[in-house]
Amino acid sequence: MDQAFDLPGLYPVLPEIALVGGAMALLMLAAFGGARAAGASNWLAIVVLGLAAVLVVATGTGKYEAFAGSFVLDDFARFMKIVTLVGSAAAILLAQESVGDQARGQYEYSVLILLSTAGMMVMISAADLIALYLGLELMSLALYVIAASERDSLRSSEAGLKYFVLGALSSGMLLYGSSLVYGFSGTVGFAGIARALAGGDSGIGLTIGLVFIFAGLCFKVSAVPFHMWTPDVYEGAPTYVTAFFAAAPKVAAMAVFMRTATNAFAPIVVQWQQIIVFVAIASMALGAFAAIGQTNIKRLMAYSSIGHMGFALVGLSAATPEGLQGVAIYMAIYMAMTLGAFACILAMRRADGAVEQIADLAGLARRSPTVAFFLAMLLFSLAGIPPLAGFFAKFYVFLAAIKAGLYALAVIGVITSVIGAYYYLLIIKVMYFDEPAPAFEPMRGELRMVLGVSGLFVLLFFIYPRPVVEAAALAAKSLF
Amino acid sequence: MNDLLQDYLPLAVFLGVAMAIGLALLVAPFVVAYRRPDPEKLSAYECGFNAFDDARMKFDVRFYLVAILFIIFDLEVSFLFPWAVAFGELGWFGFWSMMVFLAVLTVGFAYEWKKGALEWD
Amino acid sequence: MYEAIVFLPLLGCLIAGLFGRVIGARAAELVTTILLFAAMVLSWIAFARVGLGQVNARVLVATFMHSGELKVDWALRVDTLTAVMLVVVTTISALVHLYSIGYMADDVHRPRFFAYLSLFTFAMLALVTADNLVQLFFGWEGVGLASYLLIGFWYHKPQANAAAIKAFIVNRVGDFGFALGIFAIFKMTGAVDFETIFAQAPALGGKTIHFLRWDIDALTLICVLLFIGAMGKSAQFLLHTWLPDAMEGPTPVSALIHAATMVTAGVFMVARLSPLFELAPNAQAFVTLVGATTAFFAATVALVQNDIKRIVAYSTCSQLGYMFVAMGVGAYSVGMYHLFTHAFFKALLFLGSGSVIHAMHHEQDIRHMGGLKDRIRVTYYVMVIGTLALTGFPLTAGYFSKDAIIEAAFAGKNAFAGYAFVLTLIAAGMTAFYSWRLIFKTFHGEPHDREHHAAAHESPLVMLVALVVLAAGSIFAGYPFKELFAGHAVGEFFRDSIRQSATILDDMHHLPIWIGLLPTAMMAAGFLLAWQFYLRRPDLPVALARQHDALYRFLLNKWYFDELYDFLLVRPAKRLGRLLWKGGDGWLIDGFGPDGVSARVIDVTRNVVRLQTGYLYHYAFAMLIGVAALITWFMFTGGPH
Repeated sequence: MDQAFDLPGLYPVLPEIALVGGAMALLMLAAFGGARAAGASNWLAIVVLGLAAVLVVATGTGKYEAFAGSFVLDDFARFMKIVTLVGSAAAILLAQESVGDQARGQYEYSVLILLSTAGMMVMISAADLIALYLGLELMSLALYVIAASERDSLRSSEAGLKYFVLGALSSGMLLYGSSLVYGFSGTVGFAGIARALAGGDSGIGLTIGLVFIFAGLCFKVSAVPFHMWTPDVYEGAPTYVTAFFAAAPKVAAMAVFMRTATNAFAPIVVQWQQIIVFVAIASMALGAFAAIGQTNIKRLMAYSSIGHMGFALVGLSAATPEGLQGVAIYMAIYMAMTLGAFACILAMRRADGAVEQIADLAGLARRSPTVAFFLAMLLFSLAGIPPLAGFFAKFYVFLAAIKAGLYALAVIGVITSVIGAYYYLLIIKVMYFDEPAPAFEPMRGELRMVLGVSGLFVLLFFIYPRPVVEAAALAAKSLF
Repeated sequence: MNDLLQDYLPLAVFLGVAMAIGLALLVAPFVVAYRRPDPEKLSAYECGFNAFDDARMKFDVRFYLVAILFIIFDLEVSFLFPWAVAFGELGWFGFWSMMVFLAVLTVGFAYEWKKGALEWD
Repeated sequence: MYEAIVFLPLLGCLIAGLFGRVIGARAAELVTTILLFAAMVLSWIAFARVGLGQVNARVLVATFMHSGELKVDWALRVDTLTAVMLVVVTTISALVHLYSIGYMADDVHRPRFFAYLSLFTFAMLALVTADNLVQLFFGWEGVGLASYLLIGFWYHKPQANAAAIKAFIVNRVGDFGFALGIFAIFKMTGAVDFETIFAQAPALGGKTIHFLRWDIDALTLICVLLFIGAMGKSAQFLLHTWLPDAMEGPTPVSALIHAATMVTAGVFMVARLSPLFELAPNAQAFVTLVGATTAFFAATVALVQNDIKRIVAYSTCSQLGYMFVAMGVGAYSVGMYHLFTHAFFKALLFLGSGSVIHAMHHEQDIRHMGGLKDRIRVTYYVMVIGTLALTGFPLTAGYFSKDAIIEAAFAGKNAFAGYAFVLTLIAAGMTAFYSWRLIFKTFHGEPHDREHHAAAHESPLVMLVALVVLAAGSIFAGYPFKELFAGHAVGEFFRDSIRQSATILDDMHHLPIWIGLLPTAMMAAGFLLAWQFYLRRPDLPVALARQHDALYRFLLNKWYFDELYDFLLVRPAKRLGRLLWKGGDGWLIDGFGPDGVSARVIDVTRNVVRLQTGYLYHYAFAMLIGVAALITWFMFTGGPH
C-alpha cells in the first residue's frame, strides 16, 4: 500500500497541490499581511494560476495516474485544465477593481477562486465517482460563497442561497446515482464500471443511476431542465462573479461530463446518447427562445450560456472522437467569447454605479467605437456568423453530429442558432442604430486587456486555428 | 450482488433497533405519562433568556457561526480517533496525510481568528 | 469598323454614366456627341460599302450562349437592310445629341441624360445588327429599357413616371408575343439564327403547331406572334396607347426614340423576317389590316389634339401604319424607304416642336400659341419644310415614299389591300389638314398669350444646326434614293437582305396615272381646308365642333381607348394585385411565413420566461420532473440490453 502512495506518485497532482497550497498561503498572507498584501492578492492569485498552468504543461504528453487510478492526467485533462486556468485567471482580472475598490478588501475572492479552480482540476482529472464528487463539491462550495459574496446586496444573497439549495439537491442526485451505480457494478472506478457494464445485462437500476448522475452533471453545466438556477444566479450575483460562473466552471463541468460519459458509460452509449440528445435540444431551444424577451444583459447571457451548453452537448451526443473534439473546441471558443462579452458588461458603469440593461448600451458605437466594434464581433461570434470563431465552434459540433447520423439534432441546432441570432443582433442594433444613452465611465485597463485578447482571438481564429484544433483532437483521442 | 447486500445486514438490524427504540420512547409518554398542563409548562423554554416571544424568533447569526465552527472541529476529532487507532499500520504516509489535514484546518482556524469570528462582540 | 459603330455609343454611355460626376456635364456631352458623330461617319461609309458596293459582312464578336441545342452567337450582320438602319439611327442620334446640348442646357442631370441617349443608341444598333433572334430580342429589350429610362427622365413628375411605366407594360404585351414567336421558331427549326431559319422556312409551309387541340399553321402563327411584338414596339392599333403618353419625356427623346428609330424597330423586324412573312399570306393580310387601321385611326385623333407634341406623336403612329401597309402587301423596300425619309422629317418636326416649346418656356398647347413666325423665323421655316415633307408635297422626301406606299397598296394582292388603299388615301388628306393646322395655329394668326409671345426667343445655334441639317434631309432624302428603294435598282441594292414580293414593284409602275395624282390631290385638299379653317375663318372649326359634339369628343378622347383599357385591364389587374398583396402576400405568406413564425417565437418566449418564477421550489420541482421524465422514458423503452 505504501508503494501506491509514495511521493513520486503525486507528480500528476502537482498543479492541484500548487493551487491549494497557494490558496492557503495567500489566505494567511492576506489575513496577517495587512492592506497591502490583501491588495496584491489578486495578482498573486494569477501568479499561482500561472504556476499551475506551467506545471500542467510541464508534464508533457501521455497519461499519468495517481491515487490508485482515481486521478488521471491525460491530454484531455491538460487541454481542459489549461482552458479552465485561463478562464479563472481572466475572471480574477475582470474582478480586479470591483473587488479592490471596496473598503472591505475582499481578498477572499481570489482565494475562493483558487480553491474552486482546484476543485475543477480535480473534476477534470477524476477517474472515479468519488474523485468526481470531491472535485465537484470543492468547486461548488467555493462557488456558493462567491455567489453570495456581496453580503449587503439582497440579490446577491438570494442568488447564493438559491444556488446553494439547488446545488445541494443536485449533489444529492449525483450521490444517489453514484450509489446506485456502485451498487449495481460493485465499483466506483470508471474503468471498473465500464467493465461491469460491458460484462452483461445490468438491468434498469443502472440506467436510473446513470440518469441521476447525468442530472447532477447537467445541473453544473446548466442544461435544461436543470438550468433553472442559472438566470437568477447570473442576474443576482455581482457581475464579475457571473463572468467567472459563465466561464471556467462550465468548462470543467463539461469536461467531467465528457469523461464520465465516454469512459464510465461507454458500453451503454445508446442510453446516455438519448439523454444528451434530449437535453441538448431542450437547452438549445430554451436558450434561443427565452433570451429573446430579456432586457437585462446578464440574464440574457445566462440564457445564452444555456443555449451554448446545448450546442456543446450536440458534440457530446455524437459520442465520437470528432464530436468530443468539437466540444473541446467549442468550450475553448465559448470561454473566450463569454469573457470578452462580460468585460464589456463590466464596463457598463456610470458615475452612479453599474448598469445592466440592454438599453443602456444604446449608441455605444458613437460613444466608444472600439469597444462597440469588439462587442459586436463577440456577439456575431456568439451568434455563429462566419468567419468568426463562434461559427467554427458550431461547425465542428454540427459536423460531428451529422457524421454520427444525428441529422435531426443538427437541423434543430441550426434552426435554434438562427432564432438565437436574433437577440445577439438586437444588441448590435441597439449599439449601432439607437439614440445614444448617457456615456459610461472609461473602461479600465484589465477589462480592455481581456476584451482585446478575446476579441482578437475570435476575430483571427479562422486565420490560424490549427493549434486549438489539433490540441482538441489530441485531447479527444485520449478519451477513447 | 446478494453477497454485497448481505454485508449490509448488520446495518439494517441497527436501523431496525434504532427505529424501534425511538418509536417506543415517543409513544411511551402518550401512554403512561401523567398530564396536568399549566401556563408555565405550556410556554416555550429558551436557554439563556426569558421567553418573551414565540419559538420562531430570529436568532443572532453568531449562534450559527459558533455552531458551524464547533462542527468543523467536532469532525476533526471524529476523524482523528480512527486515525490514532490505526496509526501503527499507516506509517509515514498516514502521518503526513493527517499533518496536511491538520495544517489546512489550522490555516482556516487562524483565518477565522484573525477575522474576529471567535469574538462575540 | 462595324464593331466600332455598335460599341462607340456604349463607350460614350459608360463614360458619361459612370464618370459623369467626375468629368462634369460639359465633358459628358462632348464625349457622347463626338463618339456618336464618329459612329455616324462610319455608318455612312458602311452604307456606301455594303449598300452601294454590294458587300455583305458578318462579324463574330463573341459566343453569347451555348446550351444544349441552343447556340447563340453574338455577331454583327451587316447587309443593306442593316446599313440603311445604321445610317438612320446614327445620323438622327448624332443630331439629337447635338440638339440636346442646347435643349437640356438648364438641366443638372445632363450626364445621366446623355448616358441614356447613348445607351439607347447602342441598344438600337445591337438590334439592327442582330444576326439571330435572341440578339434581336436583346436589342429590342435594350431600347425598351432606354425608352423607359428616358420617358421617366424627369422622375419628379408623376405623369412622366406613369407614362414610363405605361410604355414599359404595353410593350411587355408585344414582347410576350415576340418571345412566343421566337420559341415557336426554335421549336420548328431548332435554330434562332437568321441564316438557318430562312433556309428552313420554305420547308415549314403546311406544317402545323398543335396547341390545346388546335392545329395552327406554323408559319402564320409564327409571323402573327412576331408581328404582335412589332405592334407593341411600333405603337400599332390596340397597342398604341403608350406612344402619346411617352411625350412626357424630353423632346429630343421623342424625336430620337419615339419618331425616328425605336418605333421603327417593328418595321425593321418585319423587313428582316420578310422571308418568313412572304410565305405566310394570312399573316401579311393581318399586317396590312393593322397598318391601314392605324394609319387612319391615328390621323383622325391627330385632327383635334391641342398638344403640339401629341399631334406629332399621333402623326408618327399614323406614318408607322403606312410602313406596315407597305410591308403587308410585300413591298418591303418601299416600307423601308418611308422609314428612311420619315426619320428625317419626323425628327425634324419633333425637334422643331422642341424649339417652339423651348421658345415658349415649356408651353405645349397650340391654343396658347399663335403668331410666332416672326419671333422664331428659322424654326418656322424648318417646320414648314418638315410639314411639306410629311404631307407629301411634290419633290420633298415624303412625297416619293408615301406615294409609293399608296400605290403599293393599290397594286397589292392580299385581301386587305383595297381597304388599305382607301384608308391610307383618306389619311393622307387628314395628315395634310392636321399638319397645317399645327403650323397655322402655332405660327400664324394672333398671339394668344402676349407675355409668352413677347418673351419667345430663337433657339441657340447648336439646336438650329441640327434642325437645318434635318431640314435638308427632309428635302433631299427622297429623290436620290428613289431608284434604290422603290425603283429598278431595288434588286441589286437590297439583294438577299429582304425577300420582296416578286411582282409588286412592277405592278406599281404600271398603274393608271390618276392613282399617282390622288395623294397629291388629297394633300392639297387637306391644306386648303386647314387654310380655310384656321386662317380665313377661325370661327368655323369651333362651330363645327359644337355641331358634331359627340364625334368631336370621340376624337378628342382618342376613341376612348385609354378609358376602355383602364376599365377592361388596368382596374381588374389592380384589383387582382390588391387581392394578392393583401390576401396572398400579407395574409397568407407573411401571416404564416415570417410574421407568423416570429409571432410564434414571441409566444414561446413569453411562456418559457413565465416558467422562470423565481421560487426555489419550482426550480427544484423542475429538476425532479426532468429526472422523473428521463427515468420514465427508460422504463418504457427498456434499460440496457
